[in-house]
This record gives sequence, structure tokens and C-alpha cells, in this order.
Amino acid sequence: MNGDKESWTIGEPESYLPHKEKYYIRLNLTERIQHHLVWTTFVTLAITGFMVEFPEDWLSLLGSHKETVFYYRGLLHRIAAVVMTANLFYQAWYITLAKPGRGYIVDMIPRLKDAKDFYQNMCYYLRLTDQKPLFDRFNYKEKLEYWTGWIGNIIITVTGFFLWFPKYFPKFVFDLSILLHTMEAILASCAIMVWHFYEVHLKPGKFPMSRIWLDGKIPEHELEEEHPLEYQRIKEAEIS
Amino acid sequence: MKARTLLFKFLLTVMTMATSLYFIPCLMAADVENCDLCHKYSGLGRIDESGKKHLYYVNDVLCQQSVHRKIRCKECHSDIEKYPHPNPEEVDCSTVCHLVDPSTDNKFSHANMIEGYDLSVHGKGPEDNPKEHPEDLPSCTYCHENRTYQPVSGLADEHRGVAQEILDRCLGCHTDEQWTRYFYNHFTHRLHQRRSSERMVELCTSCHEDDEMMERHGLIVTGTFHDTFHWQAIKYGDPNAPNCITCHAPVGYSSHEIMPKDDPLSAIHKDNLVRTCSNQGGLQTCHPNATTAFAQGRIHPTRYKTGVFETKMRSFQSLFASPASAELTGLEYYQQLLLQLIKFFYMILIGGLISFMILHQILDYFATRREIKKGGLHQ
Repeated sequence: MNGDKESWTIGEPESYLPHKEKYYIRLNLTERIQHHLVWTTFVTLAITGFMVEFPEDWLSLLGSHKETVFYYRGLLHRIAAVVMTANLFYQAWYITLAKPGRGYIVDMIPRLKDAKDFYQNMCYYLRLTDQKPLFDRFNYKEKLEYWTGWIGNIIITVTGFFLWFPKYFPKFVFDLSILLHTMEAILASCAIMVWHFYEVHLKPGKFPMSRIWLDGKIPEHELEEEHPLEYQRIKEAEIS
Repeated sequence: MKARTLLFKFLLTVMTMATSLYFIPCLMAADVENCDLCHKYSGLGRIDESGKKHLYYVNDVLCQQSVHRKIRCKECHSDIEKYPHPNPEEVDCSTVCHLVDPSTDNKFSHANMIEGYDLSVHGKGPEDNPKEHPEDLPSCTYCHENRTYQPVSGLADEHRGVAQEILDRCLGCHTDEQWTRYFYNHFTHRLHQRRSSERMVELCTSCHEDDEMMERHGLIVTGTFHDTFHWQAIKYGDPNAPNCITCHAPVGYSSHEIMPKDDPLSAIHKDNLVRTCSNQGGLQTCHPNATTAFAQGRIHPTRYKTGVFETKMRSFQSLFASPASAELTGLEYYQQLLLQLIKFFYMILIGGLISFMILHQILDYFATRREIKKGGLHQ
């Protein structure tokens, strides 16, 4: 995309069993750690958050423990919130000041090509064309997820802050915050379950999961199929 | 032979009578007026002209454990003179009864409570200016059901009931166990709120969530309480969670004398809100450092829930309709409108975006399957 070799996170081509196939590093260690922090805190926050919306008869199953559960629910939610916010700041630092992160964000910027790719992909899905769009390092699905993630994260962090310290702000701020916080949480949880889980877990060929989030490695054939433009550029860089 | 039979019959009669005499004092203590003769039958009741069912059964065991156990039936049902008594008057709780109030040595009565209550938001109003729809207003028995004693538990894990250790301490001096147990029950029963917070909310919302009734009185339905975090905490049994009474009759106020919110004597009057939210001196720790900014704004602002799961989608036009009886100021109206618009926007966004995503992934699924079949993917 921008010809700068440094901006790609490319691992040394190596062989791994059983296919004796080359792999490339798609997520480096820092990015994998960030992802682990995001998913653990996200799951914790979603569970402990939606617990306040559970219907009463579910709670009767907890019996006399529900008071204790309520206390730890609040505590865990706050701890996870702090970790997630810290990670958000780290990500902000990473994409602006760290070298690999800067390359990452440049490739993540939405471009006109994404709209064209989307249109072509829809045509491909509906069998109007046989030509699959050629994606670069990040396709429109990944870009949508990344940027909605940023927006959602900011909304939920700011409103969460107001909900944590309500006594300094008017009641309307609280009402607004609780509405946005809940709505954004529902949107994010649904989107993750439909968009992300399908893409990396349920998609034929990916089940039970893509290995990228564990060791960051993408097999050569996958890179060639899913990110042909990036693959081509890497190949050209390897030759030269 | 005949003489022996006669003697036997005589003795039997005497013994029966003697046995009855032995039980009379016990019967007198419980039911001196012999109301139990009929009212012990659990099926005793009638259906009146309007089709309403009345049950006249009195469970003697429960009655003996209740606060009114020492009061004779006729002290309250004072108009009953003959049997049967088809249309008795309703009990007037301000009646002076035979009990002596130990604090003043005067005859006991609830009259002082009722005096204040009549002037409160729930009362029938002054005699020269009674409120409309008196049938909607709760009388004493709407909330007070002559419950059985439920002594407070000493520690968090201790079950509610009589703590034998403490009772034994009383019995060291007060040797009549029945009296001591009664006194202990009375005292400890009063140390905590009679209803759990969940039941309290249930009681208040039995009227305050009734759309028609609230419309009649120009009030807003408080269904929005179930959207609040206060309710979520009650749901989880948090002892610190506030129910209706916590804010509407906090320390220094009486639940019998709840006033309309514009009255300076009301706990939720704008000048008193900071004190109410901070709840200084209360059993619960609420918002001890509440500021004036925090205590602004309506807790039950509209009849329309802003919550997520318990509500229907409203039409776009209806968002702009001002709720007739809401008495919202201009600013409050726009604040509520903004909340409703945001909710509307999110409902559309969630519905639209997630539907798009599901559709997209279904198409992707079939396309991927197609590719695998063709051998296009290196699987």
C-alpha cells in the first residue's frame, strides 16, 4: 500500500507442521497482548454488566448469595473497566507513537477502495460476478470492526466514568450515560457475536478458531486468499 | 340397673361440665366474645351485590401472633351487636381502645397517626375540601395487614425470629414468659422495616403503576423505577438499596405524612433533595456527599421507560408528544425528548446494523461453501 516495508508486520518465513508451510506474523506480540486484554475485559464487562438487567426470577436461583454476587459484580466490572481503559490509552499510544502501530493504523484508514470492495463482494455473494475483490492488509470488514470498536469504546468509557462518579454531575448526565452505556453495550455485544465470531470462529475453514490471536501466525495460503494485495507486496519485497 | 344407668349419666354430665369449666379461662383469653365460633371456619364468606368476594375467616393461630392479639374483636368492630351481622361498618383505626399506652398511661389509639395521614398526599384531604376519587386513596388496611411479628435478626446470617439467648436475658427479671415473649416480639419487630424492599416497591406500584388511576390524579406512572440502578440493587437483595420509602419518607419524615413534591414539608421538595439523597443519619449509606447539581432532575420523569428490555418501540411522532400530566419544565421536556430520540436512534441502529451483519455473514457462509466445493480454497 505505501511501499514502506517497515509498516508491515512480517515475520521471517518459517516452516511449521504439518503442512510444512510458510507463515507470516499478522499480529505481533504487543498486538496479541492487547487483544487478550480486550477480549478478557470485554467478556467480564459484558457478563457483569448485563447481570443488572437479568429478570428477577433468574436471581432467585442465586438464593441467599445474590447480595454477595451483586457486590463482586460491581467490583469486577470496575476492575475490568480500568484495565480496558488503560488498554485503550495504550492502543492510542501504540498507533500514534510506536513504529509498527503507525503502519498498522495507516493500513486501517478507510479508503474509497473499501466501498468498491464492499460492492464487488456483495455482487460476488449474489453470484453477479465471479471475481472476488482483492483485499489489502485489512479488508472492509476488519476496518468496520476496528473503527466501530474505537467509537463504542470511547462512548462506553466516558459514560462509564459518569456512572461511576454520579454525585458530581446533574441527574440528566446520569440518565444520558446509563442509556448510552446500555445501548452501546448491546450493540457491541451483538456485533461481536455476529460479525467477529463468525469471521474468526464459525466461518467454514476457520472452525474452531483462527490461530492468529494465539500465536499471531497466518499460513501463506490464507494470506494469499484473504489479503492478496498484501501477499503480492510481500512477495515483491522478498524478491527485491 | 336403672339406677346405675342414671348415676352413670349423671356422672358423665358432671365430668363433661367440669372439663368445660376447666377450659373456659383459656377460651376467654383468646376469644372472649366467642367470635371464633363462626369465624374459625375457613369457608366463611359471601359474595356481595357487586360480585366482590369477602372472606371472613380468621386464623386464630396467626391472629395470636399479630400486633393486635390483645385487642378484642368488638373493640374495633364496635358496631356489631347481633348475629348474624350482614353489613358491618368499616373499622375506624382512630378508635380509642381499652389498651393503655405505657408511655402516657392514656388509652391507646391510632388517632394521631391518622390526623397527619389525612393531610398527607395519600389522605382524603380536609373535610371542607375533600379530594376527588376518594376510592383510589389507600386506607390504613391497604398497607397494614395485621401482620404477624417478625423480629429483627441480630446478625447478617441469623434467621429472623426470636433469639433465645436475648429472650433468656429478659426472662431473668420478667418471669412471665408469655408476656416477655410478646414484649420482645413487639420491640424487635419494630426495629426493622416490616416489608422487604421488593415487597415495598410492589405495594407502592400496585397503585403508582396503574396508568388510569395516575391519570385521574394528574400523576406520572412510576414504572421508570424499574429502570433505575436503585431497583437493580433491590433485585439483588442489597440491604443498602433504597426503596420508595427511603426517599419519600427518610429520617425525620413519616411514611404517614408524605407530602406532594411542591410542599416544603416534602422530602423530595427541591430544597430538601440534597439532604434526602445524602441520607445523613439514615440506616443506609446513600450519597453522603451529594451536591446541589446531583440532586437536580427528576427521578421518575416520564411514563415512558428509557430502559431497554421491558419496553415496546414507540413511533417517531409520539416521541414529540408532550406527556399531558407530566408537569415538565421546558428544559426537562427537551432533556426527556433527547433521551427518547437517542433511544429511538439506537433501536434503529442496533436493529439495522445487526440485521445487515447477519445477512452479510449468511451470504458469506454460502459463498465460502461454494468456494470450498469448487476447490478454490486450499483446505
